[in-house]
Amino acid sequence: MTTESKQKSPAHALREYGSQTPGTKGIPGKRRYSMVIDLRKCIGCMSCVVACKAEYGVPLGVWRTWVMVADKGRYPDSRRIFMPRLCNHCDYPICVRNCPTQATFKHEEGFVLQRYNRCIGCRTCVIACPYNARHFLPAKRTNNNLPVLVVDKCTFCIHRVKKGLVPACVQACVGGARIFGDVNDPKSEVARLVAREKLTVLKPELGTSPSVYYIGGDWEIMDEPHNYKHRTAQQKEEFNTYKRNHHGDAFGDIVEGENTMYHVGKNMSDFLASIPHKFFDVVAALKKLLFA
Amino acid sequence: METIITYNAVHHNPWGTPITIYFWLVGASAGSFVLSAFGWVFGIKRYKPLALTASILAIVMLMIVPVLLIWDLGKPFRFIYLMLPGYWHGTAPMSWGTLLILSYPLSMFVYTYFVIKNNQKWAKITGIIAIVLALSTHWYTGVVMELNPGRYLNHTPLAPLLFLTGAFISGIGLMILVLWIQNQFTRPEKRIKWELMEEMAQYMMYGIVFDFFLLFLDFMQTQYGTASEYLAHGTVLMEIFFTPYIWLEIVIGLLIPLILLVTPLKRTRIGVYGAAFLVAVGVYGMRVWWVMGGQYIQSFY
Ligand code: SF4
Ligand code: SF4
Repeated sequence: MTTESKQKSPAHALREYGSQTPGTKGIPGKRRYSMVIDLRKCIGCMSCVVACKAEYGVPLGVWRTWVMVADKGRYPDSRRIFMPRLCNHCDYPICVRNCPTQATFKHEEGFVLQRYNRCIGCRTCVIACPYNARHFLPAKRTNNNLPVLVVDKCTFCIHRVKKGLVPACVQACVGGARIFGDVNDPKSEVARLVAREKLTVLKPELGTSPSVYYIGGDWEIMDEPHNYKHRTAQQKEEFNTYKRNHHGDAFGDIVEGENTMYHVGKNMSDFLASIPHKFFDVVAALKKLLFA
Repeated sequence: METIITYNAVHHNPWGTPITIYFWLVGASAGSFVLSAFGWVFGIKRYKPLALTASILAIVMLMIVPVLLIWDLGKPFRFIYLMLPGYWHGTAPMSWGTLLILSYPLSMFVYTYFVIKNNQKWAKITGIIAIVLALSTHWYTGVVMELNPGRYLNHTPLAPLLFLTGAFISGIGLMILVLWIQNQFTRPEKRIKWELMEEMAQYMMYGIVFDFFLLFLDFMQTQYGTASEYLAHGTVLMEIFFTPYIWLEIVIGLLIPLILLVTPLKRTRIGVYGAAFLVAVGVYGMRVWWVMGGQYIQSFY
């Protein structure tokens, strides 16, 4: 099956609803930006993560892109594998169809973008995204001009792409594992890779039609239940520490191995404690509006 | 060859306790409103005396909801965007919910006005509208998480039924308790009759049996379902959310009340009031595992 016929299948066409432009993969005359990640080349240096953090000032504890690490096999017959993660800029994004204010939308060239001025911070899109690609911005940022208390995500660096550059993570990738381009342009490297290589995407069964393709994907690192069941003890502890210290911007965190109802109660007290800073945020916005 | 995950980014669960309380309140509100409508809409005369208390209880519970929902938003004062044309988004379940949460209390106010005015015709008409809205509002709380295919625990068409059944029984439970308190402060001839309480408790018992059936269906689905569904039940519910799922919902909220209501205890005050209290509390357990449990596995992915 060619890429084009693969992507024009009627099953996809059925899923075009919400404030999204129709799926554009394989449609002649339309651009469809995509990323291919060649996992055989990824060395796990995390340069992409650092580049992304620097490009956007992504706050501590949240990510637009990150790299998963897994150990395969037992010593001495073992291998370390990596898998970069980011928003899949789905052709049929669940986040877009579920956003109640059209704050998130799909650009006709395939970027799934966020409008901070429309976002009410309800986090419905975070619930909707099957890939954890969205995060809620904290109330305090080091730079006061950056948005707070709204949801943020990877933009495929649209501001760079529009100037003819590649996204920051692609630029920074040491191993040349991330390849970016217009998958509808047969001459582009991504189009050639998509046509030639054996590719996998994350959770294909959900019908989101991701635009981030992996070459050499390992099913175990890609599988959600496997991830949950096969974490190291250190990973579990790290999760627990993270969930214990959520600083009042997520009220659903439960710490494994501790009393669930205690954390349900604690989440409520964190919620109540978060009200004043949201209130001051509103006062500050009003002041700016009236007196600036 | 076994693969062990040695590093992954960590993620918060975005919805939490305020949402669980909201789901519980909306449910109990819808449940008690159904009782209110028994007399004026369905014409069961013996329920008329409790109609006013029931609809006031439903309104009061619904008054707390906006406080929770609005302050749970990152930008509380932008809640208005949910209603503005140009912002409103027809494909988003939350958009439907916004309309329902707005119109349901309004319709209840109008209905209550006609009940106070003793206007049977208009109370019936507005009551029918209000009851449809009450059920839809609670149906929506089920689907708002159901329509996320990536949340395996929530992604079941049983969701609205589970919610509505929980609403029905917790609403009755709460109503019985409120009527009991009301009876302490009213003259004997104005008191709600004990037989009526017993009858309501029997309705609650049918609801509990149906809830058990739904939980059984859900259990079967997870046992014979995908790896994620199996994990969602076997690990998340049976380990992490054991207290809200098994203790709070099944034992306290369903099993003990069922025992109270099928044995001769159902004729006693301790049986009826005890079951009412336990059901009202226990249903909250379902709200907890539903909201937080549904998000649990994915926060590790
Ligand atoms: S990966 Fe998530 S955030 Fe990105 S487009 Fe798909 S559903 Fe939306
Ligand atoms: S948090 Fe913002 S972008 Fe996400 S669903 Fe709510 S309004 Fe839309």
